Amino acid sequence: MNLLVIRSIESRILTGITMFVGIMILVGWVAINEEARMQAFVRQHTGRSIERGAELYASLCSECHGEEGHGAGDRAPGLNNPHLFGFDPVGEQTAAITTATRTLVRFTEDTDSLLAEFTDADNPPDAERQDEILAQLEELEAQISEQQTLIETAVAERAATLETLDTAVDNGLFPLWDSVVDIETTSDNEVEVFFNNNGTRLAQVGWAGDLQGYVVTTLIHGRPGSARVYPNSTGMAAWSQTAGGPLRQDQIEDLAAYIINWDKGANWTTEDFLAVAQYGKPLADGSLPSEPPPPPAGDNVAGILARWAEMEIVGSPATGELLYDAEFGCTDCHTNGASAPDTVGTATRVRTERLTLPQFAGYTVEQYLVESITRPGDYVVDGYSSGLMPSNFGARMTDQQLADIVAFLLTQE
Amino acid sequence: MSILPFPSFLDDVKEKGFKKAVFEGIDDSVERLTAGLNVQDLREAFRGETPSRRPNPRLTPHADGFWLHMRPSYFNRDVTGMYPSFRLGWLSTYFVFFETITGILLMLWYTPSPEIAYGDMLTILSNVPLGQLMRDMHRLGAEFMVAVVALHMMRTWITGSYKKPRQFTWFSGLLLLVITGFLSFSGYLLPWDQLALWAVTIGASMAEATPVVGDQVNLLLRGAPELGANGLLRFYLLHVLALPALLFVMTGVHYYKVIIHGHSLPPQKENIGEDSAKRVPLDKRVYFIPDVLTNEMMWLGAVTFIITVLCIWFYHAPLENHADPQVTPLGTTAPWYFLWIQGALKLGDKFFWGVAFPTIALGALALLPYLDVTPSRRFAHRRVMLTLAMLLVSVTTILSYMGLAKFAVQTSAETEIVHELTFEPAHSKVGIGRTIPFDQMIVGAYTTAQLHGREGMSAADIIAEINAETQANGQFAQMLDELKNQHVSANQLPLRFRAIPADEAPKLMQVMQEFEHHLAQEPVELPNVWGALVITDNQAGLKRLDWVVSWDTVQIEGGEVMTDDDGEPVMVYATEEAPMLDEAGEPMLDDDGAPMMQEVTMMDDAGNPIPKRRIYSGHLFIHQESAYFD
Repeated sequence: MNLLVIRSIESRILTGITMFVGIMILVGWVAINEEARMQAFVRQHTGRSIERGAELYASLCSECHGEEGHGAGDRAPGLNNPHLFGFDPVGEQTAAITTATRTLVRFTEDTDSLLAEFTDADNPPDAERQDEILAQLEELEAQISEQQTLIETAVAERAATLETLDTAVDNGLFPLWDSVVDIETTSDNEVEVFFNNNGTRLAQVGWAGDLQGYVVTTLIHGRPGSARVYPNSTGMAAWSQTAGGPLRQDQIEDLAAYIINWDKGANWTTEDFLAVAQYGKPLADGSLPSEPPPPPAGDNVAGILARWAEMEIVGSPATGELLYDAEFGCTDCHTNGASAPDTVGTATRVRTERLTLPQFAGYTVEQYLVESITRPGDYVVDGYSSGLMPSNFGARMTDQQLADIVAFLLTQE
Repeated sequence: MSILPFPSFLDDVKEKGFKKAVFEGIDDSVERLTAGLNVQDLREAFRGETPSRRPNPRLTPHADGFWLHMRPSYFNRDVTGMYPSFRLGWLSTYFVFFETITGILLMLWYTPSPEIAYGDMLTILSNVPLGQLMRDMHRLGAEFMVAVVALHMMRTWITGSYKKPRQFTWFSGLLLLVITGFLSFSGYLLPWDQLALWAVTIGASMAEATPVVGDQVNLLLRGAPELGANGLLRFYLLHVLALPALLFVMTGVHYYKVIIHGHSLPPQKENIGEDSAKRVPLDKRVYFIPDVLTNEMMWLGAVTFIITVLCIWFYHAPLENHADPQVTPLGTTAPWYFLWIQGALKLGDKFFWGVAFPTIALGALALLPYLDVTPSRRFAHRRVMLTLAMLLVSVTTILSYMGLAKFAVQTSAETEIVHELTFEPAHSKVGIGRTIPFDQMIVGAYTTAQLHGREGMSAADIIAEINAETQANGQFAQMLDELKNQHVSANQLPLRFRAIPADEAPKLMQVMQEFEHHLAQEPVELPNVWGALVITDNQAGLKRLDWVVSWDTVQIEGGEVMTDDDGEPVMVYATEEAPMLDEAGEPMLDDDGAPMMQEVTMMDDAGNPIPKRRIYSGHLFIHQESAYFD
């Protein structure tokens, strides 16, 4: 151990200076590599953010927007959607036509001026120049015909793509198209008109900012649903805590990172467009929602219970279980008691613990459950956070669905 | 003549010539700055020569200067070796300054608000040159400091240096130890990541057990029932203001006491019952200037160099995911230096083990110099105290081990195994599932059933057999249902198991083997188990890994598997609704004429009951470029 003690002063000074020089070299070496390290960290962290966004999307958003972001027909639009990212299915061809047309005009002008020179009576070109002009004209003629072919091909391709989209519309891919397009047109080219008017989703909704801002803002504040397009949608809830929802700002940003990661940039195709249920898809049985959907249960507990008695609505535990697990994703949180009370034992706990609390004097178990589902903020079980459970289940469920879920929970002893 | 009322530098130049005037001016300034040493004195000192001036000018900085007034002007040669101090006290002071400097640099980039703090960490790591190095150094220095201060206390105990007249020095040192612990602990919360939130939640909840004032103390500390904006601000102020202020004051007190009483000699170097630290014979004197000073400057360089090397190549301060009060990581632990309390808490009563026991332990340490009043500091005469010291080390080690998550925390086997594969990165570790390289995550469904038994068959044949079995008994369909419930897209559900591509994806194979190994450890709780990994594409550069466990259900009560009289586990059988039959074999009808139904156990063709099959799953999303703790 005493070997660590350096006896001579010179050696100590020398060792000390070496160490300090070493530190400076090391720190300098770190400093020149900082730029690359910081960039690598940004990439790593963006990856982490997308992963967490994927997790949130799967548990919170996939129910309405679809697991792969293709939309769930009658509820909410697809987000894995070329139109959202500004993809114009005929954009490439339109651009090709424009470029070729411009070139064509230039070549035609060149031809005209050469012809004028050739036939100029006042100042006729000499023989050598005449040969030169004839050669150039021949070349121009070939180029003009090349551009014409290009234009014809692009026009044909464009027409084919529009035809595909038109056919898709005619076959009911976008059954609510008319109400969306909202244009008075008797022509066959309403698809074309639509894309001319609404190049991207942002243009369609009249958003002046960028996509990131649009996604984040919508996530924070939610938005009203369009009853014409999504008859079964009650609009998007506000997800951010700043607007009364359950998510923190960093989670909103994770979700936005995930959604924007769908962007394929230049690689979107018309097939991608056809895969999305952007404008309301037929219901599972192929029919359109002709009758107005049953009204949602709402959050008036006494009213709900009265309606159940009056209309003889009886819940089915089996259907309730399906709704509980999959449709409304209740088990995402109500699973092991970590973030919300466990599903197992709900009925027992309500009967033996909750209803003994003074504020629930006179409640029935059904009444307690209905209130807990439709008005989750009114009472939060000790040890769990408030504001976590979405408060719009009453608006999303019909009386029958609510009754089914309550019936299922009553079996959870 | 100068117009000034005293001779100016120009007068000096006129009088002595330029060169001499300049040199004398420099000499004068140096003497003022060093509080007593001129250039010649410094030159002699650093050459190791004896001072040429009398009285010895090397003593004046200690008498006249501020910085050296708290250092002795000379030491006894017997205390300048590595033994007996091991430089631990000096190192503790070194870390006080090291942490202050790195901490102030970090403060420039930090705002104590839950909305901003985590983003500030990201900024430090992604947009501040040398930011990561500063953070690593501050964090590593903090961990070292706690360890060094604790070792310093242990050394003082072993050499008996707390004995008269140093009882109060010991007490002030103990306070410094406690302050150091709380400083390090309060710093834990500031990054506002999962590690921060949960380590501090656990630590702060210990205070809750105190009778009468527990709730109030906790509320005062957190500023609200839950850790949030107020709690973060309070911990921040404790960390950068209150605790450092206390630490500096107590460091001053501690140093003052060291000067007053001198450094205690190694026990065998002085007579029993005598304290000769202040009476240093002339031939034993080692002067601060230059010997100790050069020594300390060298160590300053050496230790900083070592920390720099460690922080560049061997240690990075972890940054976990954003703090989330809704997501409790399984197996959360307090910081390592509080693990012993967490271990003690597992012994029983929260108040006794969480509050009374640490308080009694600290109280006993504070009273140590007054309890152990024997005059001798020799090891041979202090067998009881040395035994106690070793006992303290052993008990703390054992309790700390008990504080680890793996000790006596009960979770069901399937949860534990899936957790092992998928847990959120924590404590510088990632779930095993994350260790598969991205290009080896080949889309498909794989099962651990491929890996056991079935000698002498090719992988393809084994998989074909497994596929036939699981499709026939409905277990595969059950897995698909589970995946659907977990929001795997219906388009992506696998049709059948594939053989694990061991050649293209050796790491995938290795992880599957590990999965199988874990499952095989639980034959009682998970009978006839198989595990599956379903890899699906999610986005460009993003895959989803679903880990599924499927097994026959056994009855579990209170975390223990129920056994029958033969010691065999009690199985749970699948049931179905069947009409009740009367003695004649006719369905029985109720009053409304509907057949009466009952639950019956399902039987297979051989008449044996079919066990109820259970399924459990967890999943991970993995992005090509994401990385933790790199």
